[in-house]
Amino acid sequence: MTARADGWVMIAPLTAFLLLMLALPFAVDCIYAISRVSFETLRAPRIVGLQNFAIVLRDGEFWGAMLFSLRFALLVTAAEILLALALAIFLAPLLARFPWLMAPLLLPTMVAPALVGLMYRLVLHEFVGAVPYYFVLLTGDSPSFLGPDSAFWTLATIETLQWTPFALLILYTAYQSIPTEVREAAALDGPGPWQMLRLIELPLMRPALLAVGFIRFIDSFRVFDNVYTLTGAGAGGSTTTISIYIYEAFFRRNDIGVAVAASMILLAVAFALLTLVLRWSERPA
Amino acid sequence: MRRIVAALRWVVLAIAIAALNAPVIVTLITSFKSDAEIAENPSLTIEHPTLANYTRIFAMADRFDIVHYLSNSLIEAALGTLFALALALPAAYGMVRFRVGLAWLFPAVVNQRAIPLIIFAIPIYLMFQAAGLLDTRLGLALIMCLVNLPLVLVLLVNAVREVPAELDEAARIDGAGSWAILLRIVLPLVRPMLASATVLAFIYAWNEFLFGLILTTRAAVPVTVGASFFFSASGGGVRWGVAAAVMMLSTLPPLLLGLFAYRHIGRSLTAGAVKG
Repeated sequence: MTARADGWVMIAPLTAFLLLMLALPFAVDCIYAISRVSFETLRAPRIVGLQNFAIVLRDGEFWGAMLFSLRFALLVTAAEILLALALAIFLAPLLARFPWLMAPLLLPTMVAPALVGLMYRLVLHEFVGAVPYYFVLLTGDSPSFLGPDSAFWTLATIETLQWTPFALLILYTAYQSIPTEVREAAALDGPGPWQMLRLIELPLMRPALLAVGFIRFIDSFRVFDNVYTLTGAGAGGSTTTISIYIYEAFFRRNDIGVAVAASMILLAVAFALLTLVLRWSERPA
Repeated sequence: MRRIVAALRWVVLAIAIAALNAPVIVTLITSFKSDAEIAENPSLTIEHPTLANYTRIFAMADRFDIVHYLSNSLIEAALGTLFALALALPAAYGMVRFRVGLAWLFPAVVNQRAIPLIIFAIPIYLMFQAAGLLDTRLGLALIMCLVNLPLVLVLLVNAVREVPAELDEAARIDGAGSWAILLRIVLPLVRPMLASATVLAFIYAWNEFLFGLILTTRAAVPVTVGASFFFSASGGGVRWGVAAAVMMLSTLPPLLLGLFAYRHIGRSLTAGAVKG
């Protein structure tokens, strides 16, 4: 039984680290969420019950941020999967012959999202940016990409362009790993390419599709870096994602209880979603 | 017809590569233009290429010390990656071989990826304040370790599962202890996956922004945050040539790693996503 004791010793450092870095902060979160607390009273929070939650749930800005993040995540995830699926299937013969072509395709995911946000300040700048320059050249006019009406679409496009390569890699790998025999056997029934895709290939790629969809939904729902560096809450508050909302409540308004209460609601949503996806992915196809 | 489709594939590939990498390409081009040319010619051509923007960055170290930010990022990302590997490798071995914590610790870590870490930002800020870790390289390295643990643990658990248990048993009969087996038998066999995990973890750590923004102010500022300082410091009158050069230098390390180690990245991203 000494070997099993070794096992406990081996997981102990990781467990201790997580208790310290996640469990303890979570416990603090739970207390602050039901307290009135500011930077001055951090060590003496006054318990006030569910008041913070009531404030958050009645705050129009909170719902605006939730709605922004939800729309953003749904749109971006769907766009990335469709784009990546089309590219993966169309480019599969090329990528199979020249695997190194994946390198330039994956490159965007290597750049820090915060820096991508900064780069687009240059790319979209009305006087020195390349995109407005070519818009004017081709159409005689250029939209204001970061104005209140278009900021959502600009940010969604930026996010999609950066993370489609991730979806492409996962979906291409899944597409390539469909056994040749399966395709050959299915081909005997003489299906068209669309039927092949819909009835054979897509169902076999289901785990990969679910994984990509889930990871990208969560990541784009909690998006912060590129939005913060490109627009901040910017454009008249029209780009306040839920992460930006929490950040502003804490660091700008010193509303610690409210920020933490909003965090807890976000955690509950993430957890519910996770449970849902786990159930769904374990269900046989 | 076949030829046309084949040619079309190359065209689509070229467009995809250009569109996906557009911000980096535009920034790279701008970084080789003089201020005068940037104002006059925002197109993708360079009439008079110059390196002046790059030399200028290093001449302004008193106001904007990029070498300091770059070395912060390098040390923090390296430490953060090392911590994650050091915590995850023994844990992965303990979980797979001794079935300890596989049912609770493993899912707890892996599902951490689904939780927006910003919800822990506030208490971590307060804890760091109490522990004197605010604005220190060690403090940010601990965060980068936390951020990387889900991926690194999934990759290492999968790698350890591939190691035949008979090897362990043979070594145990020869009198080797669990730690000796881990270091002498298992570690060499999982080295390829360890390398892949290291590359991706380093890149993710380098690219971390939110906690850098919250937990550092001067001494430990990583380059992602430093680069955004450059913009806010220059107010309305951003010098775009220098800004572009700053952004290129900040993103070059992960970019080069990604280009040369794309196989590692492909492998770790795929394994992490589908088995995670």
